[in-house]
Amino acid sequence: MKNAVLALCLSFFLAACASQGQRAEIEQRDLFDQQQQEQQRELARQAEEERQAQILQEQEELRRQLEEQQRRQQEQARAQEEQPVIQPITGAGESDARLATDPWSQLRDPSPGNPLSQRSVYYEFDRYDISDRYMPLVEAHAKFLMQHPELRVVVQGNCDDRGSREYNLALGQRRAESVKRAMVLLGVNDRQVESVSFGAEKPVADGTDEASWAQNRRSDIVYLNEPE
Amino acid sequence: MKKFLSMISAVSLALALTAASLPARAQLSIEIVGGGASQIPITILPLAGEDRYTQKISEIVSADLLRSGLFRLGGVGAARPFPSDTSEVDYRHWRNEGAQTLVLGRVLDRPDGSVEVRFRVLDVGKQTQLLGYSFNIAVPQLRLTAHRIADLIYEKLTGDVGVFATKIAYVVKTGEVFELQVADADGYNPQVVHRYREPIISPQWSPDGTRIAYVSFEQKKPIVYVLNVFDGTRRVVASFEGSNSAPAWSPDGRRLAVTLTKDGSSQIYLMNADGTGLTRLTYSQSIDTEPNFSPDGRHILFTSDRAGSPQIYRARIDGVGEPERVTFGGGYNVTPRHTPDGKAFVFVTRTEGRYNVAIQNIASRQVQILTAGQMDQSPTVAPNGKMILYASETRGRGILAAVSSDGRIKQRITAQAGDIREPTWGPLTNNRR
Repeated sequence: MKNAVLALCLSFFLAACASQGQRAEIEQRDLFDQQQQEQQRELARQAEEERQAQILQEQEELRRQLEEQQRRQQEQARAQEEQPVIQPITGAGESDARLATDPWSQLRDPSPGNPLSQRSVYYEFDRYDISDRYMPLVEAHAKFLMQHPELRVVVQGNCDDRGSREYNLALGQRRAESVKRAMVLLGVNDRQVESVSFGAEKPVADGTDEASWAQNRRSDIVYLNEPE
Repeated sequence: MKKFLSMISAVSLALALTAASLPARAQLSIEIVGGGASQIPITILPLAGEDRYTQKISEIVSADLLRSGLFRLGGVGAARPFPSDTSEVDYRHWRNEGAQTLVLGRVLDRPDGSVEVRFRVLDVGKQTQLLGYSFNIAVPQLRLTAHRIADLIYEKLTGDVGVFATKIAYVVKTGEVFELQVADADGYNPQVVHRYREPIISPQWSPDGTRIAYVSFEQKKPIVYVLNVFDGTRRVVASFEGSNSAPAWSPDGRRLAVTLTKDGSSQIYLMNADGTGLTRLTYSQSIDTEPNFSPDGRHILFTSDRAGSPQIYRARIDGVGEPERVTFGGGYNVTPRHTPDGKAFVFVTRTEGRYNVAIQNIASRQVQILTAGQMDQSPTVAPNGKMILYASETRGRGILAAVSSDGRIKQRITAQAGDIREPTWGPLTNNRR
């Protein structure tokens, strides 16, 4: 604010000198530009300092959350031995600390380093535990949901179409529930996640071979109110 | 549908559906692919005057009896005209034609525009009448009346209740559109009662034949609805957090068992038919689903994987005691459905990668596998317990099929287009006799 007032005064002063001929005017303009550039550099430096401080603060908060998650997770693991195995979060906290202002653009960022653009967990036949391959994806969404407590997701469990439709609906529910449980164990508010099942009713692949079935054994993480 | 509300009180279920619903695109066709070992010979003559109507009584009765697999139709010979009353019957002639049981009658126009249908069933050898009835009906009831006549003949000659005048419901998937359809038990007159661009599963007729409970995904999750097929009104009965599915009617039609996941895993709950008064029935960490009431209303059969693989269990409806496991053969036994006498249940079992419909006697635990498809599922038992309708597949397309409870008689039911699946056989209706 102070800088802005200074700049305004300076420009009035320069405007008052404008009648002193063309050469002088050019010099004054040069001077003006130089001063302005300096001021902008100063502003940028200050902003960068603030941003760094904010990032540090956010990193600190994330570390705290992660430690809290790990603590809860260990407690839960002790309490319920039959729960699916949840891996501790590793290597997080630095690169992901940069928060986009628009959560949707962050979710959709297709760069390979962004697990949030991936929304599906796939399963082996007759299994519902989250394999190591998909744990980072679940962790990334869990963290994102903790950073955006206003967002809600529905985890939709799916099965291949062999056997009873209703039993498959229950199997799909179990898959969705395992993703929800993992997210809650990682610290997500229970009310941000609903687990539902589509059973065998919404196959993405229609074939009757293992490749098709494998595509249909999955849980999809669907954000509510995500723009088209 | 609603504009037809006013006419409902007067007419039967069949008529209400005819008038009230959207016509379905595809007629069903039924093909018999097996027959009973000993068939009852019967000679059915055209009824005098039936030619004036598109629905010819004798043809419908013949098709019904033939389709049951229990009857063999005799030739009608060359002599004309056909007798239409007992006094016109030359018994010696019909004996020479090889007829043992003779069906004849007439359709008479009445001054008020209605029609009278008279029919008699005669024992040719004894020269006696086995059956004789007269119906005063409106013209649109001709087809239903023919089914009633077939029921009466079936009952007289087999000793079992006939189910030709009943209804079936099922789901047809055409592209991305799902339709809940209701049709006569012979597949005729299919009517769409609900249509949506999301899946519909697990329809179940109420015991009084007025409502169908089913699961729809139209709210992007499974929710249980009860649809009144007379007036088209619909009520959400289970829409809790998580999934809501597998509705089953109590025999008195006042309660529903459903599977809910609101407390974690899939568990079975009881509620009133309007969705009130929820209580939890099963308590396990496993999957408990597909409840089905015993005809006396005191037990349910259900599917559970509490012992590792999905098996069928039996529990008391008052929740007392631990559920008792009732299937032991193989690693996949699901979808139990009691027979109407309560002495057996049909279910789906997996053998060498194939899913087939089987029947198990509750007391003896004896099991008979009834079907031989790759993917047979969703069995539903006819209200006389004699036939089982189920979903099957042929060349990747969903069809319905039926098998007699002794496995001897088989039928295949196909729609002209689309996948047909999830059948439910309606109850005996219209307070018969």
